[in-house]
This record gives sequence, C-alpha cells and structure tokens, in this order.
Amino acid sequence: MTLQPPIYYTKAEYIETDTGNKVSRRAIIAGPQNIILGGKTIISSGSIIRGDLRRLGPGHAVVISLGRYCLLGEGCIVRPPYKTYRGNFNYYPMKVGDHVHIGANSVVEAATIGNHVQIGKNCVIGKFAIIKDCAKIADNTILPPNSVVPALAHFAGAPGQFIEDLAESTQELVEAQTKQYYNRFQALED
Amino acid sequence: MAPSVNYHCPCLSSAATPPPPNLPSSSYSFHPLHTLYFCEECDAVRCNRCVSVEVSGYYCPNCLFEVPSASVRAEKNRCARNCFQCPHCRNTLSVVPSDPPDAGDLTSSTIQIGSIGEPPFFLYCNYCRWDSAEVGITFEKPTGLALQLQKTEDSAPDSLEFERLKEHFEPFLRASSLSASTSHLPSTSHAPHTHTNPITAAASSALARDIPGVGKYNPSLGRSGGPGGGGGRSGRDRTANKDEMPEYRSRVQIGGAGSGGDEDADLMRHLEVPAEIARLEQRWVSSWATSLQSKHLKPLRIPLHSKPTKRCPSCRHILIKPEQKAQSVKYKIKLVAANYLPAITAHLPHAQIPKRPVALKSSVTSSTGPPAAEEDTAEPTMVAGKTYPFQLALTNPLYDPIHVRLAVQRAPLPPQLQSQDTAGTTDKEKEKTRRPPFAVSLPTSAFPIAAFAEAWEYEDEEELFDEDGGLVDKSSPAKDRAGKGKTKTVGVLEKKANCTVVGGEVVIGREGRGDVKFNMLVSYTYRSDDPAPSDGGEGDVEPRSPTAPKAAPEMKTFSFFTVVDLGVIVPKDETKVE
Repeated sequence: MTLQPPIYYTKAEYIETDTGNKVSRRAIIAGPQNIILGGKTIISSGSIIRGDLRRLGPGHAVVISLGRYCLLGEGCIVRPPYKTYRGNFNYYPMKVGDHVHIGANSVVEAATIGNHVQIGKNCVIGKFAIIKDCAKIADNTILPPNSVVPALAHFAGAPGQFIEDLAESTQELVEAQTKQYYNRFQALED
Repeated sequence: MAPSVNYHCPCLSSAATPPPPNLPSSSYSFHPLHTLYFCEECDAVRCNRCVSVEVSGYYCPNCLFEVPSASVRAEKNRCARNCFQCPHCRNTLSVVPSDPPDAGDLTSSTIQIGSIGEPPFFLYCNYCRWDSAEVGITFEKPTGLALQLQKTEDSAPDSLEFERLKEHFEPFLRASSLSASTSHLPSTSHAPHTHTNPITAAASSALARDIPGVGKYNPSLGRSGGPGGGGGRSGRDRTANKDEMPEYRSRVQIGGAGSGGDEDADLMRHLEVPAEIARLEQRWVSSWATSLQSKHLKPLRIPLHSKPTKRCPSCRHILIKPEQKAQSVKYKIKLVAANYLPAITAHLPHAQIPKRPVALKSSVTSSTGPPAAEEDTAEPTMVAGKTYPFQLALTNPLYDPIHVRLAVQRAPLPPQLQSQDTAGTTDKEKEKTRRPPFAVSLPTSAFPIAAFAEAWEYEDEEELFDEDGGLVDKSSPAKDRAGKGKTKTVGVLEKKANCTVVGGEVVIGREGRGDVKFNMLVSYTYRSDDPAPSDGGEGDVEPRSPTAPKAAPEMKTFSFFTVVDLGVIVPKDETKVE
C-alpha cells in the first residue's frame, strides 16, 4: 500500500489552505463563505460548488459542508436541494460526511451523505436523497429524488437499486483509501 | 488490470493445498482480504460462503425504521408504514396530494392549500411518473398508508387462499407438535416440523399407523389420500393416522386471469404494443398469478432488509455481531481477517509511472476522475520472453512483530496428452504445455515485519533497499539477465513502519501465454502471549518450541494460501502460431 505512485498536480493550480484542503483554482466555487471544508479535502479542477444557493433568512448560513479527506472529482457539480414548502421556495443545507469520494462528472444534490461513502463517476444523485454511512454508489447510477440508501449498501443502475451489502470492514478500507489518496496527491514543482 | 492478491479460504474442505489458479473454477475459493473473517477458536480463515448466518435485526431500507422481529412475521416481511415500490421501475414511491381543484387560479389557491394538500392522496413515482391512480389506489390521509391498504390486501384472492391453507394445516401441525414435544427436545416456537427427512417421516407414519392389535385401533376411520402415508397399498385398509391429512380443495379454480386461460389468449390477440404486457420480473414477485396487463400492476410494499450475525460454521463462535441500531456501521464483535492476517498487495514497478498533471484542458468530457495511476502510461501487461521484477508489500496488523516466510507453489501443469498421436496438436504446442509459462522467484528465508503501532511511536527505521546480507536471497545468475551492477530485485527491499516490501522476479517464458497467477503459501510466526523478544532463528518453529530458554514464549505459526495475479502475458510482436 505504500507502493502506489503519487498523483501529481501542478503546484500553481491548487490552493492549499492551512488545514490541508487542496482546492483547484479552476474549480468554480460560488459563495465560498457558506461552504465548510473539513480539512485535507481535495476539490479537483472543473468542479462546481454552489454555496451561493442559500436559504432565505438572516445571519450566516452553511449551505454545503464537507468532511475530512473528501474528494470531489473533476467536473462534478454539488448543489443544495430545493423545495417549495407551503408556497415558499427554499434551499436546504447539504451535509457531506468524512472520507467521501465523489467521482468525476457526478451531479450531487443529496440532502445528507454519511461518512465513508464512495460515489462513482457520472452519477446523478437526486434531490433530498439520503445516503447513509459506508455506502457505495456505482458508476453511472441515477438515484431519483427522495431515495434512501441504507448503510453499507451497494447501489447501481438507473433508478438506483440495491445490489448487495458490502463487507463489514468497508469502513476501514475506505478510510485507508481516502487517507492514502490524500497522501499521494502531491504537488509537482514545475 | 492491477495486480492483485487474493486469499484462499478452505471452506471446511480437507484438501491441503488450494486449487491451481489457472483453472477458471478455482476463483471461487479465493477472496480479497477485506471480505474474509478469522475464527480465533479454530484458527482458521472463514469466508462469506462458509459462515453460518442468523438474522440479528430487520429494518426497512426506505424509512430506515427498525422493525422488531415480532412484527416482521405479522407484516409478512414488508414495511408496515408508507413505503411502496413502483411496479414499473422499482423506485420508492412518494405520497403526493391531488392537484388543487381550481387549476386555473394558481396563485391564491396553491398558497392556501400549502403542503398538506388535498385528499385524495396517491402514490407517485418520480422516476417513471407512474402513479397509483392508474390502478385506482388512493388514500384519505398521507400517513398510515399500509393500514389503509390493509383491507384491500386482506381480501385479495391470494391472501384468502393462504389463510385457508393455514387453517387446513394448523390442526395437523398442532397434533404432530404435541407428539414431537413429548419425544424430542422442544423445538422453536413456530412450525415445529416433525420431520424434514422423508425417511423419518415415513418411519413415523408407519409407526403411527393403526394396526389391528396395537394400541388404539380404530377401524371406523375411512381411508384417505394425501401425502405422508406409506406407498400405495390398495389392498390394505389404510386408516388415517396422525401424519396423513385430508385433501385440500382450493377456493379458486385455476383458469383465472394470468394463468393462461381464455382471457389471456384474448388479451394477446388484441395486443397493440408489447409494453401493455407486464414484464416477467414485474410479475414474478407475487405468489399468485395476477393479470398480465401492465396497467394492472399494483404498487408493492417494500420488503425489509436484515442485518446478519455471522458465526463460524464449526465452532459456532460469533464472528460478526452488529449493533442494535440498524444504521450504525459499528459492530459489537468483529473478527475480520484483516486484523489477523498480514495484508499483501502486489505491484509491478515497470508499469507504474506516476501520472503527470495534464496541461490545462477546458473540456470536462475528457476527465477521468480520481486517476488510477498504475498502468496508465506504461505497458500494463508483460511481454513474453522478458523478466519483470515485482514487489509485494506486506503489512502487519498485529501488535507483535512477525516473521514471514513465503513459498511459491508450483502449479500443476495442464494435463498433457502422453501419447504421440494427439488429435490436432502440433509438436510445438505440446512443448508449450509441458513447460510452465513463467517462473517466479521470491526470497525464501523468513523476514520480520515490525508490529503495528500508532504513527508517533515508530522509531526512524526508514531505509530504502536494505543492504543487510542476512535476509536477501539473490536470484540465480542464470535468470539474472539484468546484470550484477543493478540494485537487487529479489529480497527485502524496504521496511517502513509495519510494512515490509519484498521484491521478487518473474521470468516469462518465450512461449508463455495466459495469466501470470501463482499460489503462494505465506507462513508467519508470532508471539501469542509472552512479551519476551525472540531471535529470528526461532521464528519458524512450530508452537511450543522446546528450545525456548525463558518461560515459554509461545510462538504460533499460521499459514495461509494466497493467489497472486500479476497480469496477462502479451505475446511478442513476432506472432507465433497458436
């Protein structure tokens, strides 16, 4: 596991914060004051995070919060879900747990994503979806709005269906993978 | 395909060695490490196939509500709340109010009606836009839908039939349970099946048969058919005994909708679009033959999921015991093999070139996500006729240092035709099958791996390319084509924290084909109780080493088989005739 080659990025392309977050300059981040990154999170180039879609109301609102060791793949779109309730249109905050990897080109509008979740490439996660811990969403899955993914579930297909239960040691596996990915993600001095 | 290492689970078979990896059927007994369990009592690896599974709790996958086991049977393993599945696309349905009556005056009426909405409510699938009004199912209230549907469900023909069947069998079961409870150990509460073994069932029915002269002989009971009795002895007066039961007459005659009667034939004759007929996978869930038309498909209640408790099949020791909360990923007991066996990963250094950052691209379509850097730019497979070094990284999960010894298992060659007149094989092919396609060399002596500890406890031991002589096994000069000046490739390469990297070499024969897969026996020795350190020389001794000077440092050896898959052999460019 120590032999995996590093994944290089151009040093100029990523901003590294003091908490270890690595945010690409080519990522489109709207409303950064409403976004919380947990630390050691990587936001790849081309990704779009809509922190500007906040709910009405005074004061400071957290629109999107990501946990530690997260990864947003290239080109993925992260948006808070919205609903019309009693005639009012509102955005709802989106909470993503730790050790979550979201694949490239995925569109995520879920309400909550738990810890240690792996989401594949080209997925579409509908509004107000709830994804519990250690779930795995395969590539090219479409999860309709309001769907619920239980813990340790493996979902695939369109609409996303339950495929199997993952192994009990998935939490340690995903945690090791995400930490290792972060350690391999190194700057290349040009 | 990245090189992988899978672990062998014997699955209670008594074979000493695992099956050869080149057979396609042997892949069933090799598993990745994170799916395996380890039984401490038996000191054996267990996989998902050989563990015995019990249910520890049920929950609904949609509302995540934990259902107590008592209600599970009552609700027929379905969610008793508002969870329904769309019959077309299997998505969960949401409860939706009907549109407000005055559709023209949108602005004022929608605000007043708000979120409660108008009854009647119905179910709506937001993926395929099916709604339950098409089958005529509507609700008065948005909650407690299952209850509202209870009446219609209970009066469905399959439910009534099932009830009649239960009534028919119940006195029979009760009578036999009485006799069973006197003679056997008390069995579980529900359905005390007297005999699942047909031999014992026949024996008990013969025993209970009314024979003149034995016990209570009741000649007035007429003969009856049905199962459970002896064979058809027409001459004998086969009086009723406890194990025979009266005939059952079903409530509904066969030939209704969906069972291939005239109505269905008519339907097929007038079919316009194939989509009018419900697909097989939409229909076979129900235990009753329902209508064939897809517009008659009813929403299904969502079946419950269970959380299993897993036990070792031989000693019944619990391997996995989940917590009470359904959605928690913690376990009360968790004996996974990853905590006992060293984790092995294989790498081919020649195929791993770190991926350079690409130049500024604007398009999103060409992104590949989190890049898997191995085998990205270099050749991922091995060319026949060359020698490749490979590396195995072993990580020690125990809190004690271990000594590991690797041994490559020579795979048995594919069976060759001994006789000269072989149908259709040329001489060259016979030669090919006789010689193994590749040869693997690994360090044969035992090497230590440090114990697992937290990161800050490690001393500075990082040494690349350990030059100590004792643990290195040089490859034979005949195979060492790379020359002596190069850094050695076989032997312990690196020791970092609790991980040791060992190098080996694989020589691909010129005629080699297929996968480079070989079984590897890994034996490791660890101290089980005594904290006294022991030298490396004692490392390979079986448990209870008699030469131990101190008070019995118990060295236990455990060995397991793995299969290492390094990739596929690509033939050389000058194509050989196959």
